[in-house]
Amino acid sequence: MQKKWYRLDTAALIFPAVARRNWSNAFRVSAALRDEVDPALLQQAADELRPRFPSFFVTLRRGFFWHYLEESRERVTVRPDYAYPLTFMSRRELRKNCLRVLYYKNRIAVEFFHSLTDGRGGSVFLATLTARYLELRYGLSVPPGDLVRDLSQSPPPEELEDSFLRHAAESAAGRAEPRSYRLRGRREPDGFRHLTTGVVETDALLSAARSLGVSVTAFLSAVMAESILAMQAQEKPRRKQRPVKITVPVDLRRLYGSRTLRNFALVLNLGVDPRYGDYTLEELARVICHQLCALATPQNMAGMIAANVRPQQNTLLRLAPVFVKDFVMDLVYRHSGECGGCLNISNLGVLVLPEVMRPYIARMDFIIGPQRSYPHNCSVLSCGDKTYVNMIRSIRESELERRFFSRLVELGLAVDIESNRR
Amino acid sequence: MYCVKCGVRLQDGVPACPLCATPVWDPDGAAAEANYPDNLPLRYQETNLPALFFVTILCVLSIAVEMMICKLVYGEVRWSGFVAGGVALLYVIAVLPLWFRRPRAEIFVPLDHVAAAGLVLYICLKTGGRWFLSFAFPLFGISCLFSTALICLLKYVRRGRLFIFGGFFLLLGASTMLVEFFQHISFDTPMFRWSLFPVAGLGAIGLLLLVAGVIRPLRQALERRFFF
Repeated sequence: MQKKWYRLDTAALIFPAVARRNWSNAFRVSAALRDEVDPALLQQAADELRPRFPSFFVTLRRGFFWHYLEESRERVTVRPDYAYPLTFMSRRELRKNCLRVLYYKNRIAVEFFHSLTDGRGGSVFLATLTARYLELRYGLSVPPGDLVRDLSQSPPPEELEDSFLRHAAESAAGRAEPRSYRLRGRREPDGFRHLTTGVVETDALLSAARSLGVSVTAFLSAVMAESILAMQAQEKPRRKQRPVKITVPVDLRRLYGSRTLRNFALVLNLGVDPRYGDYTLEELARVICHQLCALATPQNMAGMIAANVRPQQNTLLRLAPVFVKDFVMDLVYRHSGECGGCLNISNLGVLVLPEVMRPYIARMDFIIGPQRSYPHNCSVLSCGDKTYVNMIRSIRESELERRFFSRLVELGLAVDIESNRR
Repeated sequence: MYCVKCGVRLQDGVPACPLCATPVWDPDGAAAEANYPDNLPLRYQETNLPALFFVTILCVLSIAVEMMICKLVYGEVRWSGFVAGGVALLYVIAVLPLWFRRPRAEIFVPLDHVAAAGLVLYICLKTGGRWFLSFAFPLFGISCLFSTALICLLKYVRRGRLFIFGGFFLLLGASTMLVEFFQHISFDTPMFRWSLFPVAGLGAIGLLLLVAGVIRPLRQALERRFFF
């Protein structure tokens, strides 16, 4: 039987091109249950998801002109977790499957190569997998909804579409971004990823953000920017300092009402230039919030989408072999991709699980891997009455985490810290 | 349990704060339950066996073809010996390590020197030269000794990089005088015409690194500037 295949969506094109021998762009969503996970049932649940999520059970292939996703014949084997999240996904692994299902004690985790989907698609996959596992384990009946999908139905076409193509503006927005300050440190020689999780009461976090008149994302970005500004100030004189910007992904589904489960997010670099003067936390929060509001509009985003879609439609570029495209995309990524921000803060928002699942789920986490050139990343997810702020780093120094979480404590938030210490 | 320095609440039983590494004293606390297991993933290394086979066959074929052509045209092996040696040397340097999952530099670097010395010996014999033992052999010996020692020190000694590099540059500078000496006895060139310049340059770099190794603030500034 002919294998199904899918073109990479517009955002996904970049990830195979910029992957390296020791780095691939991946993220993880996980759910901690009340009881220990049964691997056999989890395997059965994962197998049953295949017909409903065909664009997830795929391999990454290299065509002559483009990379593409092809239906995988290999089973996604449920495996025990590793000592740190988001271990390297090699080309060889991606040629078998682009996702991993892992378990450790009471935790189910799914790691995705970013070409498959974004955080929202990943959380839908995990919620459906967990719901099916709970059905098999406890005989529950979880009603399908926005987060948990109905396994008896086949996937509607709008879930598999590349929504970027439908929402591109006629004119493309510019990509030019000044280079941001780059956080540095001594890299772990064995590729170990340090994960530090700060657990905060969602209500308290929301009140702290509201007291500054901003959203939770803007508040956390402001605290992070303040911490990075302080680190830079210690390192360099003011005239040599660089802008401090936080890269914030924007879920475009909310702006355009898309239902796709593939990538449909764009990033904005929000922040300040410290060469012009010092900023208080209130000023930082206000600046970032205004930038976010001004830039995250459907019109502006359409222009940014067009900047990504346009090159795909250029006949000359389309005719170029895949290795030439990879080379060009790598150059673009190096010069205008990562350099615009100091680190990502990816806020998945509040995950509202179906009522029937809640007694069985202790918590959920969202973790994005460090970028290629900068060593930190931060991801946020709220579930139940708690918000989980996961900071990952590929270097030994924990200075940024210390400053960030200590500042949250200074602002009156009670922060519980967990880590995957060595 | 709270960190006295950061103010964050820690998991019960953790030995130190994950943020600031401040030790936690908790006489009643049991060991904390780990959030992640201990198993580290195997370090993955891409090996492309078909490509390696292809390159090997290409090298063998190219050597065979050019030797055959040389034999047909001249009736004996002339220039093709040099070309074959060059291809073999390139293969040993660039392709041979790729066959191994974890190639060890401390083995392959001496091996590369032996291969290069072999080719040079062949050229020396073919051209009727008498400079191999008096010039090329000591040169390869010094280079092999220094590079292998540097690799081993960098690999197995975790600290004192500046001292290692400082010493290496000083020795490298001094060895240029030896090279000129061997040049002198092999080719009868005048002594100390050029070697004093690298001695001075490399010696200055070596001394600078040794000084930086001793002075801590300078060392830290250099580390921050040139880390990789």
